[in-house]
Amino acid sequence: MTIAVTGIGITTSIGQGREEFTQSLFAGMHKFSVLKREGRQLPDDLEHDFAPFIGAEISELRYPDDLSSKQLRTLSWSGRVAAVTAREAWQNANLDSVDGHRVGLILSGSNFQQREQAVMHRQLHGNETFTRPAYGISFMDTDVAGFCCEYLGVHGFSCSTGGASASGQFALINAINFLESGSLDACIVLGMLTDLSHWELQALRSAGALGSERFAKQPEYSARPFDKDRDGFIFGECCGALVIEKAAHASARQAKSLALITGWGTFIDGNRNPNPSLEGEKSAIRLALRQAGITASDIDYVNPHGTGSLLGDAIELEALAQSYLLHARINTTKSLLGHGLAAAGLVEVIVTIEQMIAGRLHPSRNLQKPLNDRFFWVKSQPEICKIKCALNLSLGFGGMNSAICITQ
Amino acid sequence: MQKKEIFDLIVKHAIEVLPELEEYQFQYSDTLIKLGANSLDRSEIVMMTLQALSLNVPLLELAKATNMGELADILQQRYSR
Repeated sequence: MTIAVTGIGITTSIGQGREEFTQSLFAGMHKFSVLKREGRQLPDDLEHDFAPFIGAEISELRYPDDLSSKQLRTLSWSGRVAAVTAREAWQNANLDSVDGHRVGLILSGSNFQQREQAVMHRQLHGNETFTRPAYGISFMDTDVAGFCCEYLGVHGFSCSTGGASASGQFALINAINFLESGSLDACIVLGMLTDLSHWELQALRSAGALGSERFAKQPEYSARPFDKDRDGFIFGECCGALVIEKAAHASARQAKSLALITGWGTFIDGNRNPNPSLEGEKSAIRLALRQAGITASDIDYVNPHGTGSLLGDAIELEALAQSYLLHARINTTKSLLGHGLAAAGLVEVIVTIEQMIAGRLHPSRNLQKPLNDRFFWVKSQPEICKIKCALNLSLGFGGMNSAICITQ
Repeated sequence: MQKKEIFDLIVKHAIEVLPELEEYQFQYSDTLIKLGANSLDRSEIVMMTLQALSLNVPLLELAKATNMGELADILQQRYSR
């Protein structure tokens, strides 16, 4: 079955909405700096020798007129960004013309509102009995799903799909399954902003996953996937929304198809740990290509997972090389946006589609000494490139691997 | 603390939860339900008021209030203990 993408919404540190975002994307913009959002840094009264956490944050979120302050009051930061982003995709796809009972909404990720909880714990320390009743509902991730379904008029089905840093793609694949089973005609998939607090950031730093000690005083150099000087992933706030439907359904309602999803593959390593698996990654790629009915030589462009992790980047390049993908153009979206965790997989599918539509590839930042020179890297300048077939990878802790083939 | 001061605190938090009531002239006889507050809104308004008064009272004890004036009465009694 062929799945059509008929709507996109996007909110990132470098732009809100498709137009603003793609301009910034091709200009190679970034917003890396010391994280400023409340609850993102270790407490001021704590003595320590750690560098402040670095990342890319959304500076100002513009709300549509039909979102009231009453609605927003108890909605988390992840939820606010999701509502705004989902609305853009909904309008882009003109989903008002589809019966809401045949439309689904699937969120990616789990426990993506951690910073809100950390801030609340700090504010109510010693006053725990005054915990807000609304928290009894909002601490569940699906509160955001409930909000978005009410806001947009979705009545078909709704849930969240977790898969660590592969959550975005896992949610997309889950949504495709609902279309394939015939239970939905259209589905909106939300790659959720993962709202990390200093608790998660500190744990990820101690686990060796998070950078950047090396560029603590030069945040602009910190995000450098696939570069020899990388020292871990750099966090980035982002959210993406995709409307998908069966190609036949999109065509029957004369919805414009932005791209086609032709193949998808997942592979679970059966491994709780964070380490990557060469065989797992190759398997996901092989399954996606097979389902799309193409071979590696048909792929013009790869949008890799590449977080900037020491081992993960190296294994991923090896998986791509052993999958005969050395000829394809490749860049690194996380060098501009940072790692959006639960959002990353879906945001990078969106970036892939926007590049296909524009016939251009976005530049990579800080890719001065590529880990492997045999690849066809897009470095500091954007490039014109007609992409017929693209491959997008997502990898997550706990042995989660996925790959998606996209054509126009 | 006078009943009126406590009532004004309830009103302040009702407006925070339901901003559309900003211009509304609240009366003791008003009920939060009729003003458009759902059950979660009502418990939020009461909890915010309790925190403002530093009153550690289970919400169930306040449930017998049938309007905003009675809620202010019960809170005042607890506050004066």
